[in-house]
Amino acid sequence: MAGTTIARSWTSLDAFEAFLNGGGIVEVDDAMPDEYRTAVFRFIEMHANSELMGGLTERDWIPKTPGLRHKMAVLAKTQDEIGHGHLLYMVAADMAVKTRTEMLEDLFAGKSRFHNVFHYQAKTWGDQVAIAFLVDAAALASQQAVFKNCSYGPYRRILKRIISEEGFHMRLGEERMLRIAEGTDTQRSMFQESINDWWWPALQLFGPDTKPGDVLLRWHIKSERNEVLRDRWVQKFAPMLQGYGFTIPDPGLHYDDEAGRWMAGPIDWEPLKATLANGGPDSARRIAEAAGNWNRNAWVRDALNAVSVSA
Amino acid sequence: MKSTGTGVDFELLVHEAVASVDDPEYPGVSIVDLGLLETLLIDDAGGVRIGLVPTFSGCPALAMIADDVRDAVAALEWVTAIEIEWLAAPAWSTDRVSEDARSVLSKEFTVAVQIGSSAKCPLCGEPTVEKSLFGPSRCRSVHRCEPCSETIEVLRG
Repeated sequence: MAGTTIARSWTSLDAFEAFLNGGGIVEVDDAMPDEYRTAVFRFIEMHANSELMGGLTERDWIPKTPGLRHKMAVLAKTQDEIGHGHLLYMVAADMAVKTRTEMLEDLFAGKSRFHNVFHYQAKTWGDQVAIAFLVDAAALASQQAVFKNCSYGPYRRILKRIISEEGFHMRLGEERMLRIAEGTDTQRSMFQESINDWWWPALQLFGPDTKPGDVLLRWHIKSERNEVLRDRWVQKFAPMLQGYGFTIPDPGLHYDDEAGRWMAGPIDWEPLKATLANGGPDSARRIAEAAGNWNRNAWVRDALNAVSVSA
Repeated sequence: MKSTGTGVDFELLVHEAVASVDDPEYPGVSIVDLGLLETLLIDDAGGVRIGLVPTFSGCPALAMIADDVRDAVAALEWVTAIEIEWLAAPAWSTDRVSEDARSVLSKEFTVAVQIGSSAKCPLCGEPTVEKSLFGPSRCRSVHRCEPCSETIEVLRG
């Protein structure tokens, strides 16, 4: 573990990969190969950006959330996501690829990536429920698959905490879904519209099929292929939503009796590509708003820096 | 108090049921070990009254914890009624966290528990430096251990 071991180095990428394949865990002070450092850094940076952008969306819903209890939960979830972002930016900055400020400035300049689902606008409370239920489940499944076999120690330890907290969010998401599914016709039709809008983005969060030779798999950052995780999500949510009488906006979706499983129709990956280039339906507004926050709050950073200099 | 003389320690049974409930964010850490259980009363009719203290009053997990406690206690077949109350006093503090919970939080979650105004790194035991009072929750701040460059969360009052 960090602090208790001396920084290690490897003579070649092969030797490093042998270390990873033997279950080795890399720590921040180790002389890891540059390719590995860059790949892990980019992965954590995107996770951190997604927590921050997700937290800002959540924040928008604090005043609009129905009922005091759920309002409290949304308030706490906002703090939770921002807190996760904070921890992840610290861990990413430790990798000495970019500073935290550089990461934030790149994000606000539209030069960085964040998860596709945060490139769409949550227009109704139904959308928020769909996000808490469908999107959070997809994000949690991806994070669990990373945690299971993650070779980078500092990230692995933070993921463990993030996952247990996201598990708690899932319970809240399920509760909200049940409430709206058992609600009035108006509530149910609002939720149906949200399913129509969010099913595909949530499913695409897993990404296209993992390519052969994928370095994230090879270096034990991811532990499962995207298509496996995506399929597992479909197996869970397709029957559950249909069980509550909702329809799923995939005309190709059907149950294959022989295979004993749900088969999704063909996936159009163009929307995902657009979001990855920050050209999604709500990307520009979201980024501008986040950048506006950063600029408006510059005085807080200045004041805090002044205090720590004088102290 | 439910009648004694039956050889059954009713209070212990209820205590065990409450202790079987884990914190929703820390699987494996009992809410009793976190110091959330304050009062436990059992009347002759099998009615149970449980008083809990939250780590902070705006905690979003309160309803969920109360539901879990209710389910756990309701599983005792002699219990006829359950009343669960979140108490306004005493205020929760990290002094209420048991040694067992400290150990699991440290080993499993790399979360330190604040002692006075400082905390020790779960990895190397060195004192940590507070980086932000606000972590992912009101009851946790973000610290850093300089010797081992670890970013950790600290449970605080």
